[in-house]
Amino acid sequence: MNAEPNLPIPISYTAGSYFIFSIDAVTYLRREHHICGVLSGTLPQIPQQNVFLGLPLELMAEEARLLVEKGVACIVDEVNVQTDGMKALMEADRQRYLQELQAQGTQVMQMQASRKEQQREEALKKIEEKKAAQAAKKKASQPPPPPETPATDSTTKDDEAVVGLFAGDRKQQQQQGPDQSSSRRPSTAIASHAMGITPATSHSLLPLEPSAQHKLPLPAVPSSYPLFAHLHSEGYFLSPGLRFGCQYLAYPGDPLRFHSHFLVVSTGWHEELDLMEIIAGGRLGTGVKKGFLIGGADETTSDLESREADDVRTFSIEWAGM
Amino acid sequence: MADTDEAAIHMPSNDSAHIDTDLSDETQDFRMLNHLTFLTDGSQGNLPKRGEKDFEPNPTLFQADILSASRQAMHNALAYPRLHHPRNQVIGIYAPDGPAPPSVAQAPKQMDTVPEDNDTQPQQPEDTTATAGDADAGPPKAAGTEMGVPAESCVYVTNPKGQYFKTIGRADRWNRVWLLPEEALYLLERGSLDIRWPISSTGCSGESETADSGIPMSLQAAYACFLGHGGLNMERFSVYTGLRRLGYTLVRAPGWYDDADEGDCSAEDAQTQSRQGPGLAGVFGRFMQWLSDSPSCPVAGPLVGLGIHRSYDDIYRKLSIIPWHDPTAPRSESRPTSPPFRVVFHVYKPSTPFRKSAPPPADFRIAVVNARETAVPTLAQMSALLESTPLDPPKGVKMDRVLSLRLRQGYRSVILAVVDQGVVSYLRVADSAFGKEKLYKLQGPKPNQKRGPPRPRAKGR
Repeated sequence: MNAEPNLPIPISYTAGSYFIFSIDAVTYLRREHHICGVLSGTLPQIPQQNVFLGLPLELMAEEARLLVEKGVACIVDEVNVQTDGMKALMEADRQRYLQELQAQGTQVMQMQASRKEQQREEALKKIEEKKAAQAAKKKASQPPPPPETPATDSTTKDDEAVVGLFAGDRKQQQQQGPDQSSSRRPSTAIASHAMGITPATSHSLLPLEPSAQHKLPLPAVPSSYPLFAHLHSEGYFLSPGLRFGCQYLAYPGDPLRFHSHFLVVSTGWHEELDLMEIIAGGRLGTGVKKGFLIGGADETTSDLESREADDVRTFSIEWAGM
Repeated sequence: MADTDEAAIHMPSNDSAHIDTDLSDETQDFRMLNHLTFLTDGSQGNLPKRGEKDFEPNPTLFQADILSASRQAMHNALAYPRLHHPRNQVIGIYAPDGPAPPSVAQAPKQMDTVPEDNDTQPQQPEDTTATAGDADAGPPKAAGTEMGVPAESCVYVTNPKGQYFKTIGRADRWNRVWLLPEEALYLLERGSLDIRWPISSTGCSGESETADSGIPMSLQAAYACFLGHGGLNMERFSVYTGLRRLGYTLVRAPGWYDDADEGDCSAEDAQTQSRQGPGLAGVFGRFMQWLSDSPSCPVAGPLVGLGIHRSYDDIYRKLSIIPWHDPTAPRSESRPTSPPFRVVFHVYKPSTPFRKSAPPPADFRIAVVNARETAVPTLAQMSALLESTPLDPPKGVKMDRVLSLRLRQGYRSVILAVVDQGVVSYLRVADSAFGKEKLYKLQGPKPNQKRGPPRPRAKGR
């Protein structure tokens, strides 16, 4: 989990949206740069629900731009990377890649098979224990058998093993690979088949480093970007705010653990605000126990490119209910 | 602010507003996922409950530990691979140029159907050019109809197994099921389909016989290939997968294609034309209406006018001088819808019996709107959108009884899916006819009922 991806992280630009597909990049950006994005994919393990979603991570244009300006990421024209990359793929690469996948697939298959066997053994053991206990009870009223070990232990461990196999960078995989496969011997006939795998990224197939011709310029951002950058620099985690009728939601910490504090709406420095908007916003924010925050950047100083983050002023509005 | 914060912390019971909110409204703590055991088959049962969140970060180790556990759980959940057991692996092959008959390399397999194949072989180049030209020209008629599949299809499956293909894909006569980009991407994303790169897209020397290069398409590659293909964008895809995950069936509506004309509502408008009964009663009714309507000249004299008023209804009718919108009235010409505000998906409830070959009338119609690019629709846009949907007047016992339900149901309705960077909000817009609900007619009998038992009629007969 604490893997450091190679910088700059490539952000895939496809059909007007910004995506990240690498799980390491997702956790890294969340941990180190407070960029959460929005998970928009289906979780393959529980596909029929909308509460927990999976990769890819969709980034707002503001988030993508912030990361590029920090030098952490670069924007990559994913469509051309894929088509050109596949065109350049040679037969030898193909063979190597297919073998790699085959090896991974077999390993996963073995892990699943061995876990099934383990579960079976445990289940058998339990039955035996029960039988023994009953026999003992029949003999004489003796103390009950030792508490049973929860069966979930083994499964979670194995889950993590599978996850670790796919999560880490490839060095880690190679370290992990041999000793795992040596420790678990193939037990059933099915284990000889390989599991088919759909990888999340194309990293091991295509060159990791995007070539210069595929890199794109800075993303175009809405006029609310200065406020976004300002709040982000103050340590807030920001996410799209349409659910609460605003532009961004500002979280004091990781949204995994904290509720958001502010509904953020950006305004122009000289924009005339309707008082009704402020009242409505304050009302709305108070209704969901959040503050209504408006802010904007001083446009008089210079253009958008060279503006300082200090030019941004913010106001929080709360319904006093007098 | 501090006081209310404190209050919020110390009074969790105050949280009632949050309880009935949708779980997917906010980011959930992925630790809750740990309670599920993934690898076992068929454990997709119950979802975890909402976790408790803290108000704000504090420098305690305790909180840091919980946060890192949450992140670890999230990492594990997201890193979970998409696996295909060889026994039920479904393989699709990517066809970047759209639907085409099986290539020559594959033809020897099907020697039995050779005459047929030979007939179609010469048409193949034609087919592909038509597809390329029509990629944005839209209606799936040009190249697709010859094979019976939409021209935007870009993945074919030779061994369609599993329940998904009941509602997804179109078969051609070589027994291959063709998938539209959003269908292919959705199936790949949920780990139900293994899409392979075709040998023609790779730089490999093609000594192998098949079109399949054997290289599985990664999620990353699939997004690059399918988004932006045939009108699919992330907003539409978010709506598609979001509703699919909940069990709805979605198919593309004619409005998907920018230049398509949607004639969805012509049939049922015609039948509303002649409602006034013919014959003497009709003539008399019209005469009476003319009689009661004509003398009202509100500018000149009193609103109600002179004359004999036998009931309050007459008076109320004369008082209603403000024109109102009647959604059932036939339109002379339908206004064209403008692109963001047009029906893009037809949605079917899981309970609606659905056949791919003959889809029933849709349960819902959805227009997809990007929140960042589009403002609130104008009245013209909105009414054009509503007019493009069929008339669906409120009916049923409950609707007949409760006024508010009738108003809420409206006569036409459409659902707007507003997408803000992956976050989707659904709004239902209905055309309610306040003018058709005559309150003075409704409330007439009520006081009578309250007055107790009806008085006996004249006695002594």
